[in-house]
Formats: sequence, structure tokens, C-alpha cells
Amino acid sequence: MSKMEDKKELEQITNCAMCANMCKHSCPTYLATGKETITPQKKARLILYEEKAFIDDEQGFFDVMFQCAMCGACKAHCIYDDYDLRKFIQRGRSKAFKEGILPNDTAKRIETFRRFGNPHGERQLLEKGTGDVGYFVSCSAYRDQQLPQAMDRIISASKEQVHEFGGADICCGAPLYYAGDTEGFKKVAEKIKGEIEKRKLRKVIVDCPSCLKMMTEIYHDAGVDIDVEFVHTTVFLNGLLREGKLRVNRASATATYHDPCILVNDEGIATAPREILEVLGFEIREPVYSREDTHCCGGLSGVKIGDAEVANKVNLMRIDELKETAADVYLSACPTCKSVLSDVDMKDITEIVADQIIDE
Amino acid sequence: MDIKTFLSNKGEVPSEFIEKVKHIVGEENVSERECDIISYSLDYWLYGVFLSQYGNLPSLPCVVISPKNHEEIQGILKYANENKVNITPFGGGSGVLGGAIPMEGSAILNLQRMNKFISLDEMSLVAEFEAGIIGANLERELNHRGYSMGNIPQSLYCSTLGGWIATRAVGQFSTKYGKIEDMVLGMEVVLPDGNLLNIKPVPRRSTGPSLKDLFLGSEGTLGIVTKAVVSVHPLPEATIKLSFALPSIEAAVEVVRRILRDDAKPAVVRIFDEAESERYFKEVGSKVTIVFISEGKPDFVALESSVIKKIAEESGGEPLGENPVNIWLEKRFDIGAGPILMQRGGIVDTIEVVSLFKDAAKLYDDMMSAMKAVEGAISVSGHFSHFYREGACLYITFVGFPKDPMRYYKDTWTAAMEATLRNDGSISHHHGIGYWRIQFMQQELGAGGVELLQRIKCALDPNGILNRGKLVEDGR
Repeated sequence: MSKMEDKKELEQITNCAMCANMCKHSCPTYLATGKETITPQKKARLILYEEKAFIDDEQGFFDVMFQCAMCGACKAHCIYDDYDLRKFIQRGRSKAFKEGILPNDTAKRIETFRRFGNPHGERQLLEKGTGDVGYFVSCSAYRDQQLPQAMDRIISASKEQVHEFGGADICCGAPLYYAGDTEGFKKVAEKIKGEIEKRKLRKVIVDCPSCLKMMTEIYHDAGVDIDVEFVHTTVFLNGLLREGKLRVNRASATATYHDPCILVNDEGIATAPREILEVLGFEIREPVYSREDTHCCGGLSGVKIGDAEVANKVNLMRIDELKETAADVYLSACPTCKSVLSDVDMKDITEIVADQIIDE
Repeated sequence: MDIKTFLSNKGEVPSEFIEKVKHIVGEENVSERECDIISYSLDYWLYGVFLSQYGNLPSLPCVVISPKNHEEIQGILKYANENKVNITPFGGGSGVLGGAIPMEGSAILNLQRMNKFISLDEMSLVAEFEAGIIGANLERELNHRGYSMGNIPQSLYCSTLGGWIATRAVGQFSTKYGKIEDMVLGMEVVLPDGNLLNIKPVPRRSTGPSLKDLFLGSEGTLGIVTKAVVSVHPLPEATIKLSFALPSIEAAVEVVRRILRDDAKPAVVRIFDEAESERYFKEVGSKVTIVFISEGKPDFVALESSVIKKIAEESGGEPLGENPVNIWLEKRFDIGAGPILMQRGGIVDTIEVVSLFKDAAKLYDDMMSAMKAVEGAISVSGHFSHFYREGACLYITFVGFPKDPMRYYKDTWTAAMEATLRNDGSISHHHGIGYWRIQFMQQELGAGGVELLQRIKCALDPNGILNRGKLVEDGR
């Protein structure tokens, strides 16, 4: 890790290292494992000690840096303003990347990205529609297929002009970012800027909260700014419903909505999905941990949580929490959540909207 | 490792013990890695936290063991006795007296994997939890179902149910809902020899001395609580917030005494001295302030608040409305100033003591002046935070910027404890004894009291393996 020359940063991490761990109750990796070492305050102590060269076991330190969901729960429950522990964890990951010490799943994911420009492998370019409103099909949505198909149906029914694009080597670069590949990530950010600009878009609908976070926040931090409006799918869909551009049947069933961690903690979106469900007539059954108290789904292996064992425990914990509601339908607004929470037959909220459309 | 220790060195543990324990809990739940050793070396004892910023930790454990249930703990304690391995239980690590520091480099028994809600009995108004659940999550589970345990300490977000039991903890809403000893009906405890004790949940019993009370406040020295059944309350339907300015601490204490004497039981009652009022409630300024929160069924709350208003106003209390209460509610978990001051060389800590009403105001005056007189003191302020019909808990916060941090820390504590004992108070209301307060136990309990505790410890834990160096020195 580069030495913290910025006095403010050193003060921030030291405050966190000397806090009483007031956010640990919210940390999904801690709750799923019960391990004190991976609570936010202890991670901060380790980061401070690594900075001061007190730690010998560098491998052990890097392991802890990859045992974080990067979900923002600690930030959402922090007693200090203007502080995000993830920034410091990210630096730890960057150092691990430079030294070539990555968890196995993360290394595999990076290798695939280097070969195909995306984290999943070879795939076709997806491009259809016209207009200056784009729909960025995320890697997980591309893989899922049902989500873009649902969006096609919604776009068609609403008669909106939308330019859909994704697949091939079009990826926001989040896997590189979370692996600590700072330079690789910046190149991807520049590539995506070019992809959006060449399509002359003024607004881009994004179905994946992590892609949205990359494009609205992390690209900027990497020095890449894209002058378009980004909106999450749920905000777009809620708008269509409110403006009367979609006619939908009302369901008579119970639904549990799983708040994707990045969507609520970083993008502040928790109301729009629930408003959609209300319009569709669902009775919402909230899990114990919802909205800003939501827990990460565990994520795609080797991405946000690099440690596969920890990711698996977080995933199982979230499945148990959701099952407890015994709802008829389980919904989310993130294609990764959908894929890793398949044990509860998770669907994306986009699919439910498409299913309820009354054909003209 | 470039970490220094200031109480004891990293311990040694027989490899045979490690192998046996790995067999019980699985290899992934036994760690000797540096990051784990660092992370379980200290709780929230603030002098230790102060030194931790320089890489100076009190004591490093030899190993960290994370069991998932009482059966595993039984096995671990059996082998610990056979191998004479000292065990320090670690709950949320939020204790402020060093109760979870692994003295002599003992093995850490991390209890945080046992963090589940088990059941709610709405008819009997009781709920069962694993003891490693964090308080905030316990409350979330109950609130979701329409209930609350009513134990809301400042450490709600980082302390565990087991930790509350171990330290005889108290929450901010204690005047209505009671203290932890009023809330726990039953518990499951692994004894130091590995045997299991089940204390079944009933409202009361007459079956000899209360075994439950043996473990409430035992600080991990007499057994390890793995589950507990606690009483719960339906969420309140109505809340009334009141506050008043009074001319002095003495007058404010008298108002509360009269209110409790008239059988009112507001959930929250707090008296802030001038310094704390000024810090909390800028618009009130330097006046003694009392805040009340009355909650429950609307009719009871209306009646209770009318009793509070009548007595406070008769006594010359100036009504301040809801605003100070709302400010307190908003700020009550904000401990952010402590780390900021410590980074600048400040020594910060809190001390809570308890006395009868007849001694309360005098104790406040005496304790404040004794603590302010210590060289290096910058700020000493206080509030009364928990009330009974008979007396109250006094809670003092101190900050110093001394030349010799340990001298200042020790002298301030000694001044506070001696003032407490001089005024017939008790040296701890709810933080417990841990490591740091042992030095005052002889004066608190007398030689006979300490010896009795030591004999109890010796009878339950003849090898002295559980939480050595806490509560009763050594114990053998």
C-alpha cells in the first residue's frame, strides 16, 4: 500500500481503528462467519498496522482484504461522515494485485476477463433498437437472458425508443476493480465511455447496481467522466408505470423484495422497487434485514468477495433470511443477486413487470 | 511481528491441544494467524484502545478458537483442563474494563458464531437467542415481530446478549424495562469443567440460591453462557417526551426521586449536569437538564407524563419541550469524539457508580472535584442515567491531556473510586470489573467478600482456566 501521506486519510482510518465497531452488526461477512477479524473496525486496525509496517504476514493481510463484501453496510451505519472504509480496503486489494497475490477465484475471473473482455467468457455482441436512450445489458443480465428479454417486452409495450447494447467485450470492469487491477479498470472505463459516446446516448438505463456504481462513481474516481444520465432499471420502470405508459394486471400474491446492497447503500434506491410492487398489487413481506439493513447476496465468485468460502457463507445466510418470509414470489433488482439466490427461485423485478403487462 | 505488548506476552499452547480442538471445531475455526491474533487482543478498554494506535496491545492470544455450539465448547473446555490451557471468552469485544483481554496470552474462545434468533413465545412474552447475537440484531428480530427486549445500551450495535449477561449490563431504557438481571429468565451455560447447566425459563423459583444470578456478572470466569431466554415487551403504542431545566443537580435528583416514589416508571430518565447539557443541548446552555421518555399504552403514558410534569413544575423545573429529548435520541450512540481526542494524545474514559438517593448529590460533587483535581484533567462531566426508587447510577466522562498518560489514568480512576467508597457508593453500576477494576475490589467487597468470590471460582474452576486475571485475581 502506498504510504498515506494525506493526513486526513490517516486520521480517518485511525478513527475507524479506534471506534467501538459500531457498524459490525451490519457487516454480512462478519455475521455469516462470526469472525471478529473481518469486522470493519478490525479491518481498519489491520490497515493502519500494515501502513505502519507492523504486520509480517502480508498474505494473511491480503486474505482479510478479500473477505469483504464491499457492500457499503459499514458506510451506511458509520458514526463518521465522509468516510468509506472500502476506499482503504480497495487499496489493500490493489497492492495484492500488484504483488500477484489474489484469491484463486479472483485470479480465474481476471484471467477470463483478459481473454474475453468480460468475466464470463466468449459471447456475441448484443445491439438493437435506436434512439438516444440506451439500455446497457450487464454481463450477468446477458448471461441470464430472461432479464433482457423482459426489458424487450417492456420497451415494446411502452413504445419507448431504446438502444440496447451489451455482450462481447462490453463490460463495466467491476471484476477488475474489485480485484485491485487499477490500470486495467481505467482502460475499461475509457472503453465504455467510447462505447456510450459512439452511440450518441444522452441517457443510459443500467440493470446492474454494480455497473451503475462503476459508471456514476468509480469511473470518476479513476479520472473518466461520461456526460450522460444513468438510471437504474427500477427507476425507469417505475417512471413508465407512473406515467401510464404500461398497462399491467394486478397480482394477488405475496412478494419479498431483496434489496441489492449496492443499489440501496450506494445508489439510495429502495423506494422505487417497492412502488412498482405496489402498483402490481403484491403484498410485500419484508425480511428482517431489508432496505439499508439488507445483507449482500454473496455475489459472483471471485468478484466483490474474493474468498469463496466467505462468499458461500454470506450467500447461505441471505437465503435463510429470505426464506423466513415464506412469500409466494422473491424479487430483486440485480442480475447477480438473481443468479446466486436461485435457491428461493429469485426473479428480477423487470421480469415480473413484463409478466403483468396487458397486451394492447 | 512489530506489535508490542504492555500487559503480558503472547502465550504458548501445546500443539496437542490445538490438534484436538481442530478435530472438534474444524481446522478453519482454529487460527494462529497474525491478523487473528491482533484482532482478539483487546476489547474496548479505552486505555488499551489509546495505546493500540501505536501498535501497542495489552496481550496477544496464543490461538483463536471459534466454536458453533455448546457441544463444541464442552469438548474444548475438557481438553483445556487436561492441558492446563487458559481460555478467555470473547463476545462482542465491547467491554470497557478489559474483561476480554487474553491475559497471559491465553486462548481466545470466540463466541460470535452463535448469533441466531431461536424462538418467540408470544403468550409468555419470552424469546430465546444464542448468546453471541449482537444487541441491535436481537432487537431487529424482535421489532420485526412487534416486540422489544427493552435493553438498549450505548453498545447496542457492538455488544452481545452473552456479554450483557456476563457484565450485568443495563440499557438506556432501564427505568421501565429493568436491567439484564430482570430480563433473563433462563440460560444454558457450559461450566468450566465442560459440563452443561440448563437453567429453565420461569418467572421466579424458590429452589435454593439463584443459580442464574451466579452467572449474571460472572464475566466469563464461572462459565460460558451459550443461550438465554429473555423477557420481551410489545412495541410501545405511544411515546411522550419531556424535559426540564433545574437549578442544580440536587434539585434534579430530588425531582426524579419524587416521581419514582409516586410509582411512575418512565422508560428513560437522565439528568445531565451543566457541562453535559451545554455539550448536548446548545440552546439550553449551561443548566442542569432532565430528559424523560414515557412509553407504552396511551392511557398509562398520558397518566405517567402528567405525574412527571406536575412534580417537575412544582419543583421549579423549567419545561424545555421535546427538543432536548430528540437531540439526545439522535446523539446517544455517537462515540466519535473519543478516537479523535485519543489521536491527539487525549486520555478518555467513563466511570459509572451507584448510590442511594441520600448520597447521590454529595457523591456527584465529591467525585467531580476529586477527578478535576488530577493533574492533566481537561474536562470532567457527568449525568445520572439509571434510576431506582432507592437511588441512581452516576456516569462520569473524563478527558485529560497529561504528560504521563498512565499516571493520569490511574490517578483519575483512584480519585473516582475513593470518592465513591467515601460516599457509600458501589464502584460499578453496569460496566463490571474486568481487568482494570480488580484493584478496587478489596475496598468494595472487603477481604471477606473477595475471598468468597475466590472460593466460588475455585469450586467451579479448580484449574483456573476460565478468564484468568479478571473479576477475582487469579481465583486460587
